Amino acid sequence: MKDQMQDEVLLDVQDLTVRFNVGGGGLFGEAKYLYAVDNISFQIKRGETLAIVGESGSGKTTAALAVARLVEAYKGRVDLAGTDFLTLNDEELRQARAKMQFIFQDPYSSLNPRVRAEKIVREPLDNLDAVPESERQAIVDKLFEAVGLHPEQQRLFPHQFSGGQRQRIGIARALATQPDLIICDEPVSALDVAVQAQILNLLRKLQADFGLTFLFISHDLGVVQHMCDSIAVMYMGKVVEYADRLSLFNNPLHPYTVALLSAVPSVDKERRAATKRILIPGDPPDPLALPKGCRFANRCPVAQDRCKTEQPELNEVAPGHKVACHLVDERAVSPL
Amino acid sequence: MTAPLLKVENLRIELTTRDGVAPVIDDLSFELGAGESISFVGESGCGKSMTALGIMGLLPEKIGRIAAGSILFEGEELSTASEKRMREIRGNDISMIFQEPMTSLNPVYTVGEQIAEVLRAHQNLSKSAAWSKATELLDAVRIPNAQRRVNDYPFQMSGGQRQRVMIAIALACEPKILIADEPTTALDVTVQAQIFDLLNDLKRQTGTAIIMITHDMGAVAEMAQRMIVMYAGRNAEQGPVENIIEHPRHPYSRGLISCVPHIMATLTEERHPLTEVAGIVPSLREFGKDQCLFASRCTMVSQKCLDKRPPEVAFADGQKSACWHAEAV
Ligand SMILES: Nc1ncnc2c1ncn2[C@@H]1O[C@H](COP(=O)(O)OP(=O)(O)OP(=O)(O)O)[C@@H](O)[C@H]1O
Ligand SMILES: Nc1ncnc2c1ncn2[C@@H]1O[C@H](COP(=O)(O)OP(=O)(O)O)[C@@H](O)[C@H]1O
Ligand code: SF4
Ligand code: SF4
Ligand SMILES: [Mg+2]
Ligand SMILES: [Mg+2]
Repeated sequence: MKDQMQDEVLLDVQDLTVRFNVGGGGLFGEAKYLYAVDNISFQIKRGETLAIVGESGSGKTTAALAVARLVEAYKGRVDLAGTDFLTLNDEELRQARAKMQFIFQDPYSSLNPRVRAEKIVREPLDNLDAVPESERQAIVDKLFEAVGLHPEQQRLFPHQFSGGQRQRIGIARALATQPDLIICDEPVSALDVAVQAQILNLLRKLQADFGLTFLFISHDLGVVQHMCDSIAVMYMGKVVEYADRLSLFNNPLHPYTVALLSAVPSVDKERRAATKRILIPGDPPDPLALPKGCRFANRCPVAQDRCKTEQPELNEVAPGHKVACHLVDERAVSPL
Repeated sequence: MTAPLLKVENLRIELTTRDGVAPVIDDLSFELGAGESISFVGESGCGKSMTALGIMGLLPEKIGRIAAGSILFEGEELSTASEKRMREIRGNDISMIFQEPMTSLNPVYTVGEQIAEVLRAHQNLSKSAAWSKATELLDAVRIPNAQRRVNDYPFQMSGGQRQRVMIAIALACEPKILIADEPTTALDVTVQAQIFDLLNDLKRQTGTAIIMITHDMGAVAEMAQRMIVMYAGRNAEQGPVENIIEHPRHPYSRGLISCVPHIMATLTEERHPLTEVAGIVPSLREFGKDQCLFASRCTMVSQKCLDKRPPEVAFADGQKSACWHAEAV
């Protein structure tokens, strides 16, 4: 039974594409679209954490927002525990939202400054019909305890909390409706390292206690390594590598992933000695004028002619390890 | 032994706020040799930026002042130097780059104009000489197509490129000391790697000493020879980077190193909860008290720690820890 539970795919995202209209259209000539997320697919098993990493502008947040229907997907399927999320009508969506909650990066701006902490945490319950009003306060009390806040802090306003405490309020709020999936978009980036550790430990404890599933976005690969079970690496709207935690960190295959990991500074002497830093000069291409071939070609140290004309497919090169690079095949050896 | 390039002794910087006067830097001493790199680490609010601004003579006007101690640069006292003299120092000897490159660049001038202006102000170059030197500098900080990009406005550049422009401006006067206050915090790690590589190259080529402020121990390990761990305006620990990472002698340094999930040479299945440092940095109001200011968060705290500020205890290689129980850490 337990094994079955563990293998259940909770979130199944297929061919998700998000484009933004960035000018033109109607009377103003041909519409111009920016494809922020371009045909990506991933799955998360119940109780596990999938991390999305990638540089600024690679489409991590947009993908997460589209999964939660906070921006409109242009194409694709988002299946949460058997519910096709993208086709729900407004009322169905309002109820289904309870199953998917968001924790944002900025604990300063994501909480309404004029609302007391207890109300912030209770709000998602008030928006639902599922829990009778008389039971809501008891749930709020439990949530405060679960995230390590004192009962007397319920009456305070957001500005009366520290950054880490505000993030705890955000977490309590996200937990209120007993969601299956919690999307964390850079949940600790705005916090000091010591407070980061407190929040990361809390998230992992809550995950173990309540069987939570996380979609976890972060640019900090140390944090990702600590939190995730599998990882999708994005580059310019595409998933370029997708693997379980150990495969990705111990045997990165895509040249971008290899360069990314090599760039992380480390206190570990052994790692510093063993890692050759691979610098990738230049900038990512203009998202409005994407190259025809591999999107990494202009910075890739091993790019070939073919890379400039042919877009590589995301292929499975080892069990559960997918890579989009012309130079990576079943031998699962990185060209770098 | 030659005299250090910069010698800061018993520095005390006071800030006047609504709650009164507080020592935002409290009895700080350190030295920087020519061509050396040193890092300041600590959580936000511990006084890292204030130290930098104090050295630059850029403390917030009317609020901040150097109340005691000395800052000797090549033997010259900066803590009492005139504003005119400090401006010369800033233009010629000590430069600083800030965390957010966009706010420090002027949006209405091209980057070339901004670099050339600094060159003209400090090196008496002609207009055309300054312009070609500006292009050279852009090239030196590895902006591709420097010839063309010199005409770009700041908004036309990426965050990493803007930070490189800031470095170019800071280097325009060939400073002896470059202070970088969290220069890569807003940037992607691949861009950070380029900036670090660039700074290391420049250090090798020009012998510029670097003071880097950061909260990332990994960055410290990569960039500096010595580090100073700051806590609540005070030196918690200082010494050679490798020594402190291998054997911190202050509970706060130990906490800063172990609370971060580092990527190790080989990753294993095993994962432990991170070591937590409970609580947060005290507010400015608490600074200056005659006790260990880390006591409220420290697992090794004893009565002594609450009764009296700990003195610095010296270890091998110049490692110094301000902790009553440093030997036991
Ligand atoms: N509302 C929008 N309208 C137009 N373009 C957008 C919009 N939101 C995002 N984009 C663009 O989509 C791309 C992906 O952005 P996104 O915010 O998803 O990146 P990210 O990976 O989350 O980056 P970061 O690490 O900086 O948070 C970028 O090119 C961005 O400029
Ligand atoms: N302009 C200012 N006015 C009042 N307090 C300030 C000002 N600048 C900084 N501080 C306070 O001084 C302390 C140290 O700040 P800072 O040097 O910026 O820390 P760090 O760079 O280590 O994050 C903090 O408590 C901060 O709130
Ligand atoms: S497809 Fe070509 S350009 Fe793209 S990552 Fe692979 S080798 Fe580099
Ligand atoms: S002096 Fe005491 S409280 Fe302060 S760091 Fe040392 S053991 Fe901890
Ligand atoms: Mg984002
Ligand atoms: Mg600072």
